[in-house]
Amino acid sequence: MANRFTKIKGAILTALAVGLGTVPVWGSEYAMLFFMLFCIYLALAQMWNLLAGYSGLISLGQQSFVGLGGYTVAVLSSYYGMNIWLGVGLGGVTSVLLALFMSLFIFRMKGVYFAIGTWIFAEALLVWFSNWAYVKYGSGLFIKPRNGLSMAAIYYAALVVGAGSVALVYKLLRSRLGLGLMAMRDDAQVSETLGVEVFRLKLYCFLISALVTGITAGIFYVFQIFIQPYKAFAIDWTVKLVFMVIIGGIGTIEGPILGAFVYVVLSQFLAEYFSVSMLILGGIAIVVILIAPKGIMGTLQEKLGFELLSPRRN
Amino acid sequence: MEGLAQDILNGLLLGGLYAVVAIGLSTIFGIVRLVNLAHGDLMILAAYLSLFLISAWGVSPLVTLLAIIPIMFALGYGLQRFLLNRVLGEDLEPPLLVAFGVSIILQNFMLMAFTPDARSLMSDLSLMTFSMGGNLSVPVLYLINFGIALAVVAGQHYFLQNTYIGRGIRAASDDQYAAQLMGVNTKHTYAVAMGIATVTAGVAGVLVGMTFTFYPHSGPQYLIIAFGIVVIGGLGSMKGTFVGGLILALAQILGARVFGPGYQLLCGYVVLLIVLAIRPQGILGKG
Repeated sequence: MANRFTKIKGAILTALAVGLGTVPVWGSEYAMLFFMLFCIYLALAQMWNLLAGYSGLISLGQQSFVGLGGYTVAVLSSYYGMNIWLGVGLGGVTSVLLALFMSLFIFRMKGVYFAIGTWIFAEALLVWFSNWAYVKYGSGLFIKPRNGLSMAAIYYAALVVGAGSVALVYKLLRSRLGLGLMAMRDDAQVSETLGVEVFRLKLYCFLISALVTGITAGIFYVFQIFIQPYKAFAIDWTVKLVFMVIIGGIGTIEGPILGAFVYVVLSQFLAEYFSVSMLILGGIAIVVILIAPKGIMGTLQEKLGFELLSPRRN
Repeated sequence: MEGLAQDILNGLLLGGLYAVVAIGLSTIFGIVRLVNLAHGDLMILAAYLSLFLISAWGVSPLVTLLAIIPIMFALGYGLQRFLLNRVLGEDLEPPLLVAFGVSIILQNFMLMAFTPDARSLMSDLSLMTFSMGGNLSVPVLYLINFGIALAVVAGQHYFLQNTYIGRGIRAASDDQYAAQLMGVNTKHTYAVAMGIATVTAGVAGVLVGMTFTFYPHSGPQYLIIAFGIVVIGGLGSMKGTFVGGLILALAQILGARVFGPGYQLLCGYVVLLIVLAIRPQGILGKG
């Protein structure tokens, strides 16, 4: 049984890797755009899932790192002429530094207070950036790569963070840190008395999530070319991530994959009616919480016992 | 120092308005242990309803409250009874996320129904001021806001302390199972509590609509203000809600005076984060 599943899993993963890896070869411009957005949202959703699904940290402030990652690459490339990919990487670094600073305040808060604390931080950043002359207030910045970039280059960068985020969470959950996280999720107090350093684990997850979110946002804004505080620091980012993860399955590695796919399909079909797609997503998310709180993938796993990427070591 | 006294006076009066913005969130947080992330959007929905009724009936915004109060009560009651009650449990996350979903649905519904344009509830009161001698004058609207805020807070306090259903709500809040054994229908009492909280949100929405401009996406801004006041003042404390409102409003208005109007919101957020970090249970909160 286990062997057959292993083979199926291997086949599915190989097919996915080959398929996504060769999109620029076989796909149209549109296919490339579609799968690039999918990879970017996948990485962002996977990071929210790492916090909410595994570390018990409901963050409503992921847009802090989206905005900071985007602005870092914008400032470094257009003011200092820095290499665009170096700028993207540094966007991850500034996001980690911000996360460290935030943790001084918000790691004293629990549950709902933590959620709103992260949100308030993001709102404060939004106000600050839209009043800051250095980044041209609310009118925004252009991101100028020194030599033009091909769409395929951006696509591959997105693929790296998309696939990388899945691999990272998979590896992480199978490490010592992952064992600690799962013990903590099952019973925080007992695991703490058994030597799991709850505070440190949560902090690590928060920093990792900031790093990947900042880098991913940098790639997204390299594609967008233009960044504005009202868009970059908007709660809309986190709204989308929450919906994706809930629909796909919170606390599963595959959930964000499915959720990101559903979101990108829906947003492409309803591209001209953003409000309608958000209405539908909100409706689906509520129905999912009411009838299948573990999301689509979580419910399937429970019913079929099949996990594509199991956090458990065999 | 020119105008400082005026700023402080405005800040104090604005604090009253902020208190009524926060009171519903605080009540529901205290009683049902739910952070209603849709609180701000319910306020803005009431503001749009009022706008609609003003143009339909040609009356003053305050008169539309007569229709808005029962509508908001029914909406809040239904929301709790048919949606939120189903996900209440040990975990705080499912109700939080359902409320989040409701918030996004309301925002996008308002965006489609009322367009993204800025609106305000105009009335004869908007421009009236009331001179207090010297250079001080009081905008009549701010005075009305403050008066209604006091009335709402006092009215809700009286209701919870002195009526049968109010006692039931407090009992269910103290111990859900004991209250059930005593014959309290907790599902109904929670829904009534949410209905009342939504009514206060409706009143707050109309007052905010008369005082400032609003958009379909204004809800979260007021949710954060309300949450900030609950945090500063301490959970479930009526006095704390009023004090929290005054502190936040003064921080914003004095912050705008020192650093410029663009930083008004930022000063409020910074005060909030400092209070959260130093005293997470709030200034007047217990423990």
